Amino acid sequence: MEKSRGKIGIREFVAVVILTIGTKMADDTPAILFEQMENAAWMGPLLIGALSIIPLYFLTNVFTKYKGKNLFEVTLYLLGKPVGYCVLFFLWVIGGIAITIDSSIYTDIIGTMYFNKTPTLVLYAILMGICAYGAKKGLEQVGSFAWSVLFWIKVSLFLALFLTFRQGNMDFIYPFFGPGKWEVLKSSASNLSIFADFLFLSLIAGFTASPAVFKKGIWISLVIVTIELSISLLSFVVLFDYEPVKMLNYPFHETIRYINLEFLPNIETLFFPFWLVALFIRFSFYLYLNALLFGGLFRVKDFEYLIPTLATLFVFLGMIPETPTFSIFDFREPFLKMITPIFFLFPCLLWVMSKAKGDMKT
Amino acid sequence: MRQSIFQKLFHNEKYKNQQFSEKDSSEEIAVKKQTISTNLNENLEIFSKLYLIPQNNDVNIRRFLVQGWHKEAALLFINTISDTNLLEEQVLKPLSKNEGTFQSVEDIVTAPGIKRVQVVEDVLIEINRGNAALFIEGDQQVYITSVSNFQGRGIDKAENEVVIKGPKEAFNEKANTNISLLRKKIKTESLIVESMTISKRSKNEVYVLYIHDLVDHELLNKVKERVTKINVDSIQNLSMLEQHIEERTKSLFPTILYTERPDRASSFLEDGYIILLMENSPGSLIMPATFWSFFHTSEDHYLRFIFGNFTRALRLLALFITLFSSALYLSVTNFHAEMLPPDLLLAISSTREIVAFPATIEIFLMEIAFELIREAGLRVPSPIGPTIGIVGALILGQAAVQANVVSPMVVIIVALGGLSSFAIGDIGMNFAVRLSRFFLILCASVFGLYGLTAMFSIGLFYLLSLRSFGVPYFAPMTPKYTSGNDTVFRSLVWNEIFRPGYLKPQDMKKTGDVSNGEKQGQNRN
Repeated sequence: MEKSRGKIGIREFVAVVILTIGTKMADDTPAILFEQMENAAWMGPLLIGALSIIPLYFLTNVFTKYKGKNLFEVTLYLLGKPVGYCVLFFLWVIGGIAITIDSSIYTDIIGTMYFNKTPTLVLYAILMGICAYGAKKGLEQVGSFAWSVLFWIKVSLFLALFLTFRQGNMDFIYPFFGPGKWEVLKSSASNLSIFADFLFLSLIAGFTASPAVFKKGIWISLVIVTIELSISLLSFVVLFDYEPVKMLNYPFHETIRYINLEFLPNIETLFFPFWLVALFIRFSFYLYLNALLFGGLFRVKDFEYLIPTLATLFVFLGMIPETPTFSIFDFREPFLKMITPIFFLFPCLLWVMSKAKGDMKT
Repeated sequence: MRQSIFQKLFHNEKYKNQQFSEKDSSEEIAVKKQTISTNLNENLEIFSKLYLIPQNNDVNIRRFLVQGWHKEAALLFINTISDTNLLEEQVLKPLSKNEGTFQSVEDIVTAPGIKRVQVVEDVLIEINRGNAALFIEGDQQVYITSVSNFQGRGIDKAENEVVIKGPKEAFNEKANTNISLLRKKIKTESLIVESMTISKRSKNEVYVLYIHDLVDHELLNKVKERVTKINVDSIQNLSMLEQHIEERTKSLFPTILYTERPDRASSFLEDGYIILLMENSPGSLIMPATFWSFFHTSEDHYLRFIFGNFTRALRLLALFITLFSSALYLSVTNFHAEMLPPDLLLAISSTREIVAFPATIEIFLMEIAFELIREAGLRVPSPIGPTIGIVGALILGQAAVQANVVSPMVVIIVALGGLSSFAIGDIGMNFAVRLSRFFLILCASVFGLYGLTAMFSIGLFYLLSLRSFGVPYFAPMTPKYTSGNDTVFRSLVWNEIFRPGYLKPQDMKKTGDVSNGEKQGQNRN
């Protein structure tokens, strides 16, 4: 088998980012935002996107300076070996926890919404097995996969949103600022970490065709993801109104159960495959990043071989909580709040260190 | 590690190194390596021994006297593969009637192609190719005149890649004819036809065709290297050669394109691809091949823009129907019945009520029956061909439903999938799609749409990791390369100005401008 460690172009990069971060609208992220911001939740992504500009500016700035290097090398160079290793290990742990939590939630969605009788372990094992297979094929394949299905996934999402807005009531967006302007801003800022994936993206900065591709890719996908998340949150509100939507754990799946298409009364299964494919891409990518970081930390050259082992580990970790619908939800909220400062401050720290070393001038 | 376990399992090494009681042929090899002597009789004796004359019926030795020189001479040829009339006109007559004394053989013999050879082995190669060897008393050279005349059929219509609008002629089993058909379409001195002998015993020849100032020479060397690496006694035709040079022999998906249409081959040549031809093969191998080259037909470009793209859209639809129809039916009826409109659901369940088998068994029964009809229909002698059609349609369609073995819905689903599979013209891709359909059905029957999507994802991941001579399978769609953007749909003819960038052609633009030597293409963004 010819192993490819090639570079990915802007199309693949943007496709992966859109599908990894964009799928957050279909898990319990909206539920977290709705709980804090009620019917103004749709402003959340917009504000988060706007606030993310600051760390992302520093991040792209640093990585355009160090051409062809990824987060791993840059951190070690800027923070020195002992500190750098500690920070990176911490990032790896965060990434691992994120994969565990997210995959557990998704397995729960599949189990509760579509396959009530199938044992969770089987569903989980299939999910992670396929993602491990995809991740092991390499970044290029994950990127190409994302690009080749992106159009169809977005078409299905567009259809869902279109039907939702047609059946929804636009008056439900009032009162415009929900619990209040200050509240909205505060909870947006504390949930900044919804976009923390961008930080992990810099792990593959060196694998993009050029630093310009990385920079452009980040900005393009930030804009698309922000708008996509915002519109989907808006659609949930106009369909359910703010009180019921607060009680839903997975608003997207409730939405596609609620809407209908002319002669087809139940169309949630129509969207299920597209959502699943996006899911496979998301976790393939996460697994790849996690293995990449692990391989860098512990000097494993062929880190692709770690992926099946890591995937198995995540399956068992994710199986621990017995009622993920509630326990994970309660766990994820503080977790998101905890990462927020890291996502915000870490790029700034890198930039300051780079400035201090005098690399920024040249 | 994994390799060694497999080797142990299958005793691969053991078989390769096994000792057989073979005949020692070193003596014969030594004879073949020696040079021709000046003694005519000695020479003829050597060749009589090698060819087992007179047991060997069609190998002839014709002795005669060259008048002018007063020397004895002999012609050695195989009459079934040589043109004897030509031999008589151009070699025998002029030589035997010649009265001058100082002319050389080349001056007397009127055949257009003549060359001198000194080693027994080389003489043998030429004779086996249908040429005649002229031995002259006292001469250390053997004169080879090209008079070969192999029998074969003429140029026919393409049978497997039918087009309505466009050239109809197809390759046949003669390599010379095939090369002539290609040269007819590409009239340039840059079209190179290289020949290479690939097998050790049967001495089969492969012709490598490429356009010298377009092709990427690195790619060309890769192809040549792979062809020369083959170490076998005989490779009869391209279909066998394909299996020797392809990258993944156990893969479901083909990575080398086979076409019987010279127009298709020539359009690939003009894009910088490399083409292999062989004697005895009514077709050509095109490499590297991407998924799209299997998906396209030549007619897509012969039809006008909209019509061509309409057929492309139909073919894409057919591809998806073939892959997913049965699997979708299974997963929807078994796992996601709520998805169907109530009336349809009732209709399906009322026909299924009296059927004894579970839906999965039903689908498998019909799928296998369809594949059987297809295979049997292909092998059946043409006089009883229609019978198969009647038996297939009546027994498997009508009677199976009446006997409550399958439900009418399943007949529709399977027939639709089977019919659609014929829209994928390339035989390699056709098999690949039909076989992967079974994997999808299996997964759908166990896990419904979840299994179906999972299997589809694995398949797509696998396809994306395939490479044909270093070219990604889905190029130029992903990863992106500069190209004519001829993927699912094609663009307008005058918008296809670039050759495919993944081939790294020496001239990227298809427009008339001469390339200025700057490195073009390859630029992926």
